[in-house]
Amino acid sequence: MTIGVKKVSLTRTTRDQIFLPAILEGLLTTARHFFKNTLTPGMGDIDTIRYGEPEVDVKDYYPDRFRGVHRLMYREDGSVRCVACMCCSTVCPARCIYIHAEDRRDDQEKAPASFVIDELKCVVCGFCVEACPCDAIRMDTKEHMVPTETREEAVLGKIDLMKRGGPSVAVQGGAAPNYREVAPKRDPRFEHDPQ
Amino acid sequence: MANRTSDTIPPTASPPPPAPLPTADAPKRHSVGLALKKVDTNPPKAPNLAAEPVEGEEPVTLTIDGEQVTVRKGTNVLEAAKLLGEDICHFCYHRGLSIAASCRQCLVEIDKMGKLQPSCQVEVRPDMVVQTKSPAVLKARQEMLEFTLKNHPIDCPICDKAGECKLQRHYMDHDHSLTRVDVPKIRKPKHKDIGREIVLDAERCILCSRCIRFCEEIPGTSELTMTFRGDHETLDIADGHRLDNAYSINTVDVCPVGALTAKDFRFAIRTWELQATDTTCPGCATGCAVELHTKHEQAYRLVPREDPAVNGHWMCDEGRYTYKELEPSHRVQYAEIEGHQVPLFDAVALTAQRLQGKKVAFVFASTATTEANQALAELCELVGGERFILGRPIADGDDILRDPDKNPNSRGAKLAAGDVSKHEAELALELAGRAYEAVVFLDDEGELSDVVLQGLSGLTSICFADRRTKLADACRIVLPAASWAEILGTYINRNGLLRVTRPAWRPEGDRKHRADLIGDILRQLGRDNVATARERTRLLAEAHGHQELLTMLAEPKKMRPTLLRWANTRG
Repeated sequence: MTIGVKKVSLTRTTRDQIFLPAILEGLLTTARHFFKNTLTPGMGDIDTIRYGEPEVDVKDYYPDRFRGVHRLMYREDGSVRCVACMCCSTVCPARCIYIHAEDRRDDQEKAPASFVIDELKCVVCGFCVEACPCDAIRMDTKEHMVPTETREEAVLGKIDLMKRGGPSVAVQGGAAPNYREVAPKRDPRFEHDPQ
Repeated sequence: MANRTSDTIPPTASPPPPAPLPTADAPKRHSVGLALKKVDTNPPKAPNLAAEPVEGEEPVTLTIDGEQVTVRKGTNVLEAAKLLGEDICHFCYHRGLSIAASCRQCLVEIDKMGKLQPSCQVEVRPDMVVQTKSPAVLKARQEMLEFTLKNHPIDCPICDKAGECKLQRHYMDHDHSLTRVDVPKIRKPKHKDIGREIVLDAERCILCSRCIRFCEEIPGTSELTMTFRGDHETLDIADGHRLDNAYSINTVDVCPVGALTAKDFRFAIRTWELQATDTTCPGCATGCAVELHTKHEQAYRLVPREDPAVNGHWMCDEGRYTYKELEPSHRVQYAEIEGHQVPLFDAVALTAQRLQGKKVAFVFASTATTEANQALAELCELVGGERFILGRPIADGDDILRDPDKNPNSRGAKLAAGDVSKHEAELALELAGRAYEAVVFLDDEGELSDVVLQGLSGLTSICFADRRTKLADACRIVLPAASWAEILGTYINRNGLLRVTRPAWRPEGDRKHRADLIGDILRQLGRDNVATARERTRLLAEAHGHQELLTMLAEPKKMRPTLLRWANTRG
């Protein structure tokens, strides 16, 4: 494909040259919006959210995939869902997640002894949520990180993160209450083909 | 320089590596006058031959995937393919163990043989034609993987092997599809304490029997066995036994999945975060080839490397714990004079000043590198003084790998110190008798009684310490030495082989190679043209004809640790 040249005519009409009609057109548009948005009772098509006013919940206006402060989900028995697999801390481009694992001495085996996120370092990319195989970490709080007076307050530990958290019954593989005991659903794409 | 150090460095024309050093230095190993039992110093022999052809044997030529390859007679098809860079996937085959051919993962197509054959079990024959990538082989491979994964719990997030797991890797390479199984998985014991060092997860086990064969063949203790049949087949300990042999953690290394995990490493860190450095175990005179796995200047574990001349594929449990002495909180980072931190230069200058014109005892260390001992010998010659050798005490050993002499460099220290017959007992006696005004310890290791240690505060006691021990705390001047994980240095093992320890990280604080610290003292004493540690290493490498070390010295980039994420699977 070659690049062609398009010739544009630049001749001006008398109407263009005296400017006044264009100025008046612009003033008319401005005036129309001004009167419509100030005089109509429902505020016309104004889009400003009245942030901070008690009757307005700002979260209703955020999109569903908005990434807010992290939270940690818990199981039905109240224990944290995280199994300290370190996938999030590995994938984190800001290296702001610090986990130390411990032995739970039950069938879940592994759990985080400490789970710390430095929200000051966090770049809010959401990779940790993508990487988590256990639906343990989420960023769906729709809360901004509140400015803090000291750096230490912005470093959130397991307790802080679980305070925002909720119960999750998601299952690894996404199929049944216990993936080991109940087989996953058949996926027609992988049905056996006897050839 | 060669002239200056010629009395402490063996002549350059000494024999190539396997030959022992001049016998004058060899016969009596460091001990408190005890004659040691002669140990069989040969490592366990690997039952499977490597494929490289050897001189004096007739090689075999065969065709693999249309490529001709010449290999050693008696080797198997799997090893031959490995020589071509063709890594046939397998679980149960291990070069150091006998062949079971139970995993059926390494099936290949061989001309004139009707069915697919397990390549680990088929010995190479002349004019054999092997296909490792034909459609039938690929299909068999994928279907065998599906069988293997049928009852596997796929709990990679909590599995310590994840990242270096053979099953993970083969799945990604050869199967990579969702499960077609729609019946519940068989449950087995999830975390069973089967020994002092080991936890068993029977669900993850893929029944390759490597660990069983290891226990039968290397320590010969046979603690592990298979119980039940079919789907319910489970790895377990034999009745009334526990996996408590001195080599038990090797079962973790040979395990291709995470069924056997070491308690020490369990949940400590994920494998892909680790950096691996090829080095030498400083736990005993055997000097096993090992990898030191570290992250952020902290060591996490030691795993054996293959070295047919020294340790085969294995190492002992005791040796695995030598990394504990690299604990960051115990490190001496800066020079200290009577407990006060001082600049390194001040401590060195004070040491040089205090050594002049005094009656000095020089304590060589069989735990320190040969370079450090050579440097101390030079210092001793310049200042003049009595020589001693100190090291860890004699302990248990066996005929497999563990040596009763727990010092990595008894021979090297003896070689550098010259004809020294004085050890702990003599040193303690003479120090108690106030025979010396100053004493220089090359290492912080050594069994000295509390009375002797208290006596050290009354004289100029100098210690080159890398960590805080009782000996280091008792000395008045402490010079910060780099530990074995921070330096390039050499040991001479019980067979007279040069063993290399490589740096896993840069020394922290003012820590330096012991030979370089002594070099500073020598310079303070007015000596010029002092050899650096690196130069001493090069001379030793030349003297022993250690090609690998010479290449490393020429290209220091080769010494850098590898991130385990980019390394291969282990086991």
